[in-house]
Amino acid sequence: MAAVAETQEVRAPRRAAGPATVQPGTVWRWVVLLVAAVYFLVPLLVAFRFAGIKAFGSVVSEPGFTSSLGLSVRLAFVTTVITIVLMLPTTVYVHLRLPKIRRLMEGITILPIVIPPVVLIVGVLQIAPGSLKSTAYLLALEYVVLAMPFAYRAIDAGLRALDLKTIVEASNSLGAGWINTLVRVVLPNLTTALLSAVVLTVALVLGEYTMASLALYQTFPVWIYVNSQASGQVSVAASLLALFVTWLFLMLITVLGTRRSRRTGGGAVTLFTVARQETRGN
Amino acid sequence: MTTNTTRDAAVADGSRQTTGARGTSVVLQNLNRAFGVTKALDGLSIEMAPGELVALLGPSGCGKTTALRIVAGFETADTGSVLVDGKDISHVPANRRDMGMVFQSYSLFPNMSALDNVGFGLRMRKMGPAQRRRRAGELLDMVGLSPQARQFPHQLSGGQQQRVALARALAIEPRVLLLDEPLSALDAKVRLQLREQIRTLQQRLGTTTLFVTHDQEEALSMADRVGVMRQGRLEQIAAPDELYDHPATAFVAEFVGVMNRIPGELAADGTVTVLGRTVQVQDQGGQGDEDGQERPSAGPVDVLIRPEGLTMQVIEHGNGIVTTRTFLGSVTRVAVLLSGDVTVQIDKPSSEAAALAPGTSVSVTVPPEPVLIAPRQ
Repeated sequence: MAAVAETQEVRAPRRAAGPATVQPGTVWRWVVLLVAAVYFLVPLLVAFRFAGIKAFGSVVSEPGFTSSLGLSVRLAFVTTVITIVLMLPTTVYVHLRLPKIRRLMEGITILPIVIPPVVLIVGVLQIAPGSLKSTAYLLALEYVVLAMPFAYRAIDAGLRALDLKTIVEASNSLGAGWINTLVRVVLPNLTTALLSAVVLTVALVLGEYTMASLALYQTFPVWIYVNSQASGQVSVAASLLALFVTWLFLMLITVLGTRRSRRTGGGAVTLFTVARQETRGN
Repeated sequence: MTTNTTRDAAVADGSRQTTGARGTSVVLQNLNRAFGVTKALDGLSIEMAPGELVALLGPSGCGKTTALRIVAGFETADTGSVLVDGKDISHVPANRRDMGMVFQSYSLFPNMSALDNVGFGLRMRKMGPAQRRRRAGELLDMVGLSPQARQFPHQLSGGQQQRVALARALAIEPRVLLLDEPLSALDAKVRLQLREQIRTLQQRLGTTTLFVTHDQEEALSMADRVGVMRQGRLEQIAAPDELYDHPATAFVAEFVGVMNRIPGELAADGTVTVLGRTVQVQDQGGQGDEDGQERPSAGPVDVLIRPEGLTMQVIEHGNGIVTTRTFLGSVTRVAVLLSGDVTVQIDKPSSEAAALAPGTSVSVTVPPEPVLIAPRQ
């Protein structure tokens, strides 16, 4: 109750004071927003002007567009599945049984960000099954490593917003075994966090260049780069298109996820934090 | 004793509903559990009769929650066993123990409506959707929450959530109901209402119930028997009035209710002289006292007497002076400063206490009844 009441109390006077007197804080907020908008939007506008409308039409018919995009989408799918299957049970287990090693887990999962991609490739090559080594899906294994920090943090944030131990015990005491508890109780309360993990993983795979290009596979980002040697305009158009599609995808997941989680009392879907509303008091 | 008579009456007139719960006895047998060097449970044994509500009362860290969690199957005892209807369930996993549990923190599944929460256990028991919804509806009705059936936990108040949790635990007709401080997160008024509701339901259904709390008022008002725990051991288990009137140890005496400590002198013949009167010492079960100290055989001790156990008269140049008065309704608690810088609390009917303004000189005496003693502090 306290939390709800507070926000309402804080908001009410601000709204009333809004148009009449503009507070300095409000001005600064808009300045920061404007500067950020200029920083992000101007390059996009320039790119758009450089590409020209026509280039967008011809992107789709460019040789290699379909195959490279198809490869990237397949890789995104495989990577996401492996990442979730690996990270979800691990994170749940750590929260339930080994809360003490949570910090260690955070440390481990940050490693892929600090270790250079080349080292990761070598590492994955050492342990990957031979049959995979000649296929593009080897990349998926590498992407799983890259996606780990993001997926872990998203799921971890979701679990922190739940009283996992209590609801798992409640579920057990009502007769549910582990599978039922995971499928009916834990997962439905983690949809938001899982969506975040999926979004981050997909975005990462669709944008990854270094590893794919080192491994000589033409994923979408590699294709864009290669194509830019031939036609700068088309490749810029393709980049913009990719950006727009990814953005649309993110928005869609965010809106859907938020609607769903609001219904059951969860907070808005953001990529790293899943805030759960305070329970109303007594 | 009122609680017992009510329960016996309920049994006699057959108003106890026939559920799977009927006739379940629970025995905790010499439970030991250590976390590192800390002994959470140190040889705890309790026998619960079918349909009985036993409260485990004690300060935080006394092991009461550990005991409950061992019964629930969320913890395992190092040694000892839990018997339900005579069968050792120590190796039965929590989800097959058939025990309803209400937790201290809100434990409803956030993704399910109140109705689905209550129906969850039935679903796990493969009950069909229609029957399940009907039964869950009945239980919500029983806790007075039918109008909230379609609401999600975040739309319910804390008290409502705990009532749904209670309905959810009872829906599976558990053999044993386990309550882990279910009221401690609620505010005073709601706590009082829910306390009565839990007790009424428990008596109606006749479900053997283990209730853990640190709130003595809660324990004394709800339970058939209260077990006072300390450092993993059971100090005393008895009916509330017995516990209050005849505490077995100084710890129980001081933990349950208000207790005065008055300096006295113990003689070798087992009598103690306090406030100028020599009285017998109550049999304290011969147990060692707090921190393993043996009871002194003679010398300076503290005598333990309840506020209603002391008498006082207004008299000039008495042995005490009234310092404060606290109005408690029908009685008023009067604080009296005795010589030797000892303050005692004495309960007086509020009508009589009007004459006891602060500064009044009074004479405080001990009635000629056996008293409890503790080592001098």
